[in-house]
Amino acid sequence: MMMFRNLRFALNSAWQSFWRNLAVSMAAVLSITLILILAGVNLLVGHALSQVLDGFREKVSVISINVGDGTPLSTVYAYQQQLSTDPRVASVRFITKEQALANFQADPNNAILVQQLDNNPLDAKIEVKVKTLSDVAAIDAAARQWSGVDPTNPTNYQGDFVNRMLQLSQWLGLAGVGLLAILVVVSVVIVMNTIRTAVYHRRKEIEVMKLVGATEWFVRGPFVIEGVMTGLIAASIALSLLVVAYPPAVAQFKSDIAFIPLSYDPSFIASLARDLLLGGALLGAVGSYIGVRRYVKV
Amino acid sequence: MVLTPDFDSRPVISFQHVWKTYPTGTEALRDINLVVPEGDFLFLVGPSGAGKSTMVRLLIREEKPTKGKIFVDGIELGRMKRRKLPFYRRKIGLVFQDFKLLPNLTVYENVAFALRVLGEPDRLVQSRAGEALDTVGLAGKELTYPANLSGGEQQRVAIARALVHAPRMIIADEPTGNLDPATAWEIMQLFLRINARGATVVMATHNREIVDLLRRRVVAIDAGQIARDDRSGRYHDDVSKPQIRAQ
Repeated sequence: MMMFRNLRFALNSAWQSFWRNLAVSMAAVLSITLILILAGVNLLVGHALSQVLDGFREKVSVISINVGDGTPLSTVYAYQQQLSTDPRVASVRFITKEQALANFQADPNNAILVQQLDNNPLDAKIEVKVKTLSDVAAIDAAARQWSGVDPTNPTNYQGDFVNRMLQLSQWLGLAGVGLLAILVVVSVVIVMNTIRTAVYHRRKEIEVMKLVGATEWFVRGPFVIEGVMTGLIAASIALSLLVVAYPPAVAQFKSDIAFIPLSYDPSFIASLARDLLLGGALLGAVGSYIGVRRYVKV
Repeated sequence: MVLTPDFDSRPVISFQHVWKTYPTGTEALRDINLVVPEGDFLFLVGPSGAGKSTMVRLLIREEKPTKGKIFVDGIELGRMKRRKLPFYRRKIGLVFQDFKLLPNLTVYENVAFALRVLGEPDRLVQSRAGEALDTVGLAGKELTYPANLSGGEQQRVAIARALVHAPRMIIADEPTGNLDPATAWEIMQLFLRINARGATVVMATHNREIVDLLRRRVVAIDAGQIARDDRSGRYHDDVSKPQIRAQ
């Protein structure tokens, strides 16, 4: 019951002081908004990059094992069976020589080449989709040992490219996390100072609260709640700006650099909203908590 | 070390060889020994900078003694845990020279504030705050803001706030310092009534007329030491020689 009354008191006084000190509140909202926009852009760019990388990953995680022309079908089926029970493998598909040729002919880029073919030079293939990119090398190495493989052209695996892709995606992920960490530190400092200014205006109130026997949490509560409010308002503003700017930015990017498979992803908005609101609330709360500490301490 | 109070009641405040040196090197208090029994009315007098305010700050635990011990109601203030401090402050009522009212709250809200902070239920807050304002003679001014009140009225609000949680001890630091003599006298009447109800009152003051007129216990501080402790004293121990110092 007393907890409830204290909470109501904190909510009331947070709400009042937010409107009473509107100028200072707005300064705090503005600085958190700017930080959250930066963080949001970072998240969006990160998401776009991972979209693009996923596209590449999808491609390189499929390897074709070329089957030698003399290999009996039973050997191929046995190997196909063996591969599909491998836990690292997502799916296995056998493509006969005829299908391979049909696929080849279907591609309009190959039209002129097709006219010059009089027999089928293509191998039958086992197309293996590997679950994780890092296992592709091992699957490839095993496939090269298989008795039925075409010894002149065993697989289409390009180890070097895959390794580089893996490294690149790791570095990009790391850079994104690093950038986000820097943003968090900078923003906590900025928010803390903004809120400290707000608290400075109310130090007399804090002094009186302490003199009449308010506990530290009772003094802090309203400030922390006000910080959360500030953070949520800032997050809403930042979010709406980002949501409005996201589709045209993607469209612009696509028209400028067409070969990168980037697309507008509305489902990402939900997770962006969650991250920004949570981030804003947390930032406001932590900033207030630290900002008010100097005045609460006895 | 013998510390026998010359009163029968149990001591609520006791200073035992208390020294206070500020980080700047200023020796504010030197070997203070003082016992205040329950229900006492005590004036702390002395020139500015003598150490009165330091004693008040030690009593409300804004400062800790450098050496020695201070007991209030059986608690040793120097050893009290930080998280216990709010609960200690709730036992005392504080009144200051500058009132320390919140300008953005009404008279009623200022008084109610001291109860809200304790998490008391609304009904209790209303009745207690009303009573306290009645006691100090401000019934009818509940919705006024402090800025629209006279100095005397503001100090009454502050006293109502100090009373509202029914503390057994009132500590006042120059409560009449900003008031004209007639108003000061009215405020003193309030403190006397509070004391008559059983609360211990410790008041640091410069107001010679009031001290001389009331003839209560007077503890004179000079250069950080107790120069005099009279059970029924005056502001100066001898009107013709006002600057006598204890050796």
